[in-house]
Amino acid sequence: MSAASLIAREEWRVLARNRAGLIASALLVLLILVANFTSLERRSAIEADRERYQASVDESFDAQPDRHPHRMVHYGQFVFRPLAPLAFFDAGVDSFTGNTVFLEGHRQNSANFAEARQSSLLLRFGQLTPAFVLQTLAPLLLIFLAFASVGREKERATLKLMLAQGVSGRSVIAGKLIGHAAIALAVGLPAFAVLLVFAAAGAAEWGSVALMILGYAAWLLLWAVLGVVVSALAGRPRDALAILIGLWMVIVILLPRALPEAASAQSELATKIETEIALHRDLLKIGDSHDPDDPYFNDFKEEVLAKYGVDTVEELPVQYAGLVSIEGERLTTQIYADAANRQIASESEQNAFVHAFSVVSPLIAIRQLSMALAGSDLSAHYDFLDQAETFRYDFVQRLNRMQAELLPGIEGDDPRISAAYWQDIPRFAYDPTDPFARSQNLVWPFAVLLGWLGALAALALIAARRIERAAR
Amino acid sequence: MSAPSIWSAEARLLLRSGRNLVALILLLALSSAAVWAGIAEVEHQHATIKRVEAEQVRDLAAVAEANAGPEGDAGYNAYYAFMLTQGPPPPLAFAAIGQRDLQPYVLRVRALGLQAQLYDSEVYNPELALPGVFDWAFVLIYLLPLVVIALGHDLVTGERETGRLRLLLSLPGSGLWRRRVGLRYGAVLAALGLPLVVGGIVMVAPVSGIAIMLLTAALYCGFWFGLAMLIGASLRTSATAAATMIGCWIVLTLIVPTLANATIARTVPVAKGIDLTLAQREMVHHGWDIPKEETFERFFVNHPEWRGKEEFEGRFHWKWYYAMHQVGDEAVAADVAAYRASLARREELTKTLGFVLPGVGTMNVLHRLADTDIEGQLAYQDSVAAFHKSLREFYYPYLFEDRMFTQADFRRIPRYEARHSTGTLALGSLGALGLLGLLALWLGSLRIARSGIGSRSKGRGPGMAAFGKLAEITH
Amino acid sequence: MNMKITSTPAIAIEGLEQSYGHKQVLRGLDLTVKRGEIYALLGGNGAGKSTTLSALLGFIVPQAGTVRVCGIDPAADPRGARATMAYVPENVSLYEHLTARENIAYFLALADAMRGRDAIEGALTAVGLAEEAWDKRLSGFSKGMRQKVAIALALARDVPVLLLDEPTSGLDPRAVLEFNRLLDAAREREVAVLMVTHDIVSAVDIADRSGFLGQGRIEEEREASASGPRFDLNALHDRYARAGEPA
Repeated sequence: MSAASLIAREEWRVLARNRAGLIASALLVLLILVANFTSLERRSAIEADRERYQASVDESFDAQPDRHPHRMVHYGQFVFRPLAPLAFFDAGVDSFTGNTVFLEGHRQNSANFAEARQSSLLLRFGQLTPAFVLQTLAPLLLIFLAFASVGREKERATLKLMLAQGVSGRSVIAGKLIGHAAIALAVGLPAFAVLLVFAAAGAAEWGSVALMILGYAAWLLLWAVLGVVVSALAGRPRDALAILIGLWMVIVILLPRALPEAASAQSELATKIETEIALHRDLLKIGDSHDPDDPYFNDFKEEVLAKYGVDTVEELPVQYAGLVSIEGERLTTQIYADAANRQIASESEQNAFVHAFSVVSPLIAIRQLSMALAGSDLSAHYDFLDQAETFRYDFVQRLNRMQAELLPGIEGDDPRISAAYWQDIPRFAYDPTDPFARSQNLVWPFAVLLGWLGALAALALIAARRIERAAR
Repeated sequence: MSAPSIWSAEARLLLRSGRNLVALILLLALSSAAVWAGIAEVEHQHATIKRVEAEQVRDLAAVAEANAGPEGDAGYNAYYAFMLTQGPPPPLAFAAIGQRDLQPYVLRVRALGLQAQLYDSEVYNPELALPGVFDWAFVLIYLLPLVVIALGHDLVTGERETGRLRLLLSLPGSGLWRRRVGLRYGAVLAALGLPLVVGGIVMVAPVSGIAIMLLTAALYCGFWFGLAMLIGASLRTSATAAATMIGCWIVLTLIVPTLANATIARTVPVAKGIDLTLAQREMVHHGWDIPKEETFERFFVNHPEWRGKEEFEGRFHWKWYYAMHQVGDEAVAADVAAYRASLARREELTKTLGFVLPGVGTMNVLHRLADTDIEGQLAYQDSVAAFHKSLREFYYPYLFEDRMFTQADFRRIPRYEARHSTGTLALGSLGALGLLGLLALWLGSLRIARSGIGSRSKGRGPGMAAFGKLAEITH
Repeated sequence: MNMKITSTPAIAIEGLEQSYGHKQVLRGLDLTVKRGEIYALLGGNGAGKSTTLSALLGFIVPQAGTVRVCGIDPAADPRGARATMAYVPENVSLYEHLTARENIAYFLALADAMRGRDAIEGALTAVGLAEEAWDKRLSGFSKGMRQKVAIALALARDVPVLLLDEPTSGLDPRAVLEFNRLLDAAREREVAVLMVTHDIVSAVDIADRSGFLGQGRIEEEREASASGPRFDLNALHDRYARAGEPA
């Protein structure tokens, strides 16, 4: 048996006899399981709620009586964002984004009723998900287990003894690394097992689960290696512990909170009110599609008349107001889309600023990776908004076409079409985002995590040389 | 050596230690940075409000131009004139931003159904909001305990490990621990509090508010120093003392709050917000499909003064339209009350949790005082609702009496007046925090007074039993 | 100090009993040390040497027997008793980041014992610490130098009773010699010295009397002879080896 594996085994024996360490590890595993359980339960409750709401609003839409189609344009549809299956593992920004949008004609409404706006400030302490435990608490446990790994041997002069017996510094460090790497993976095991069960049951994609496990394994390994390296480089175990806790505080607690402050100072987000006012101004420039005599729509009218080969609006086989609504919707949607894209661009710019700092705080990398794979990141939310908007445009235009094509055949001053038409309008079907479609969201975090591991491996080599020299 | 000089000698001892000095400077720097970030955020919010106000003036002018005048119809004006409401940051918000990064502080409403407008979100970047704000309250609640741990975990064990403990205890002088803890306590509070005081002066915040925030910090800090004395004097080595205290910190500020939040979120669902929105929509759109008299009848229940003025010719009249929206709001009053009650219930449970968890208690006191919690947001919503009511009441005479709506009338549209901060002193929470802080300090000083000597023969106080057990486990 | 020195011994222990749980450490210890006398309390690990010191310092309340230091009961009036004693623990290190002078000034302040600059410098001179080291931080000091500072602190307090716990452990022979000279000086100043040690060699060099602690009491006491070798070293070693065995 090689010296390194002997040292690794010895490390496990020492840790197995450390009662405090065992209790802390057991508590962490318990916490991961509790987090899994509560988070799964929470996800299914939220999901059931949203499904129920979606079904009930769809039903109400179908149940609307005979009406003028434009009334249905403003009756609109509510859509609820389904929660991705892996959102139980990492809730991501779900609590901070509204999860229901009211879709109606020529307006883009905000996604409302974000959980964070309806919770006490307690929510800001974090949410108990497996991701929270693995990202925030597991590193601390690994620190506590590893901070004395090499320092202890130095302090008790057993290191000198080992080196005197011909064990190389590299073997010592390698042994400690193997020992703590195995512990790190063991700590993640319960969470990984739940993920695998999920994939096996077909509830999650194998690819996402595999990358998720890889990502968290890298994250946990990073802390185990950091613990051993600092232990080898610091003077005393006490100093190592202080340094490691300091690093944990900066990387896990401080930077992730302080960076967004800096990021929001980087670029300003326009308020919804400003956007609306600007939009309103742009819309006025185009004209009011509600008003068939609008001068801006005169050109449009000429085109329509030419297309149908008639001279007046009254001769048209279709309702002119309906055509105007279709055209108006097309124009306003474009303006809204531009504004939405501008907002997404500013937000992405802010987020990119924070992401760039993942080189300093790899927590940002693992968080980004985890949210992306869980389908609970901001991109997934944008994707939902995008799909909702596409859907909105489609159903509003269908109703507008009904107005144009069906109304001319109906007599009376209160023309309505049959309620049966509402049932023909397709319902919102959310197509879950594929995290692999936005691979840049995955590649960069992985690169950061691997970069950290590589840098730490280099430090481990230096540490190996250092402890040999120090013992001489 | 005279009394002041023993204090200065102790101060020198404290500050000569690299670790202590670094911890204190770090706390001062973080506290300053947090106050600065808080001020920046508050300034940013003020600037945003100003910007929006300017836009709003232009927008209203355009609306007035297009709709008000000799031929003006109040209906169109009410439809197109969005009125701005604003909730400027309260004077103490810079120290405890709370939910102001998520909750809208500018909201436009018009005389249509309020419930469809009140819950609209403003733009914020969810990913930036996710980790929570970096403000003075964060530094106090999360980081101060770590500094206390750095300074206080080895008060006794450090002396024992260097062999000084018996020497120190063999000296006839008294008040050693009182001086040492007192000095550290003062230094920590100063490093944390000075930036707050400076920030308070810069922001012209009320002195009493800053004083209460400092008092809260003092009590919270007292809790952690009490715990440091209790644990530090009960355990044999500095390493176990530090590990145990970090463990306490994790449990008290990371684990229990998140567990509690998950529990509260499950036990008190707030889906009523969606329910009332859906119900209001049904009411309003149902109005189009029922005889107009029916809508008016329901409207007159609460607004009898307009009875007899509901007649109009043709298919449409704005008075019916607005009456329908009013009825829509009134129909969901019970849902609104239930929604509010669920939010209040969540706050209440959090408050109760704060009675036993000092970190949560501190959070509650600070944000209630700064008026940046849910309660502050609800107060803002209430003021918007009151304003909306006045807006409706302003338009009704024009609508029901078919009065024309001139430019002069447009100028008479009520404007929202920003409410005053409704920050209050959460006396119960502060009292509970005080109790926890003083209890910890008392138990800690009892324990530390018996430290080091005859620990094997002296009995432990009743309160110590649990901590003794903990000490044995972590040995 | 104007204590009555002739009538009452500086240290008087009678019938001291102390046990921790089921383990009885002291079973009727009798011990007196007069002023101007150096007493070496010898004994192996766990013999009860530290417990004896704890009783004198008022750290523990005796379960039976009486303890008096300059006539004061340390259990009843620990502060009063401690004001008459200076104690040098084993392997003490004072504050690393303070200088020798600052350390002494600080500890004197803690002891409520105001002393001028001269007294501190006198004590530092007395222990033979080189003057250039007085204003250096302790972090650069050797073990012997630290010991000197600790003893200088005890001297500077200028009290009638000196308690020393393993004072010579870890000192090189030269430092031991200097230490012995210091004790001679203390004897001349009528200080009662109780040194607790398992180092027989250093004890016989300087002690006026030595006692073997075994079975929780003084099993045997020997007095230094006025002429010739003060103690028979071989006999002491032999006795030491048998200490604690049933007689």
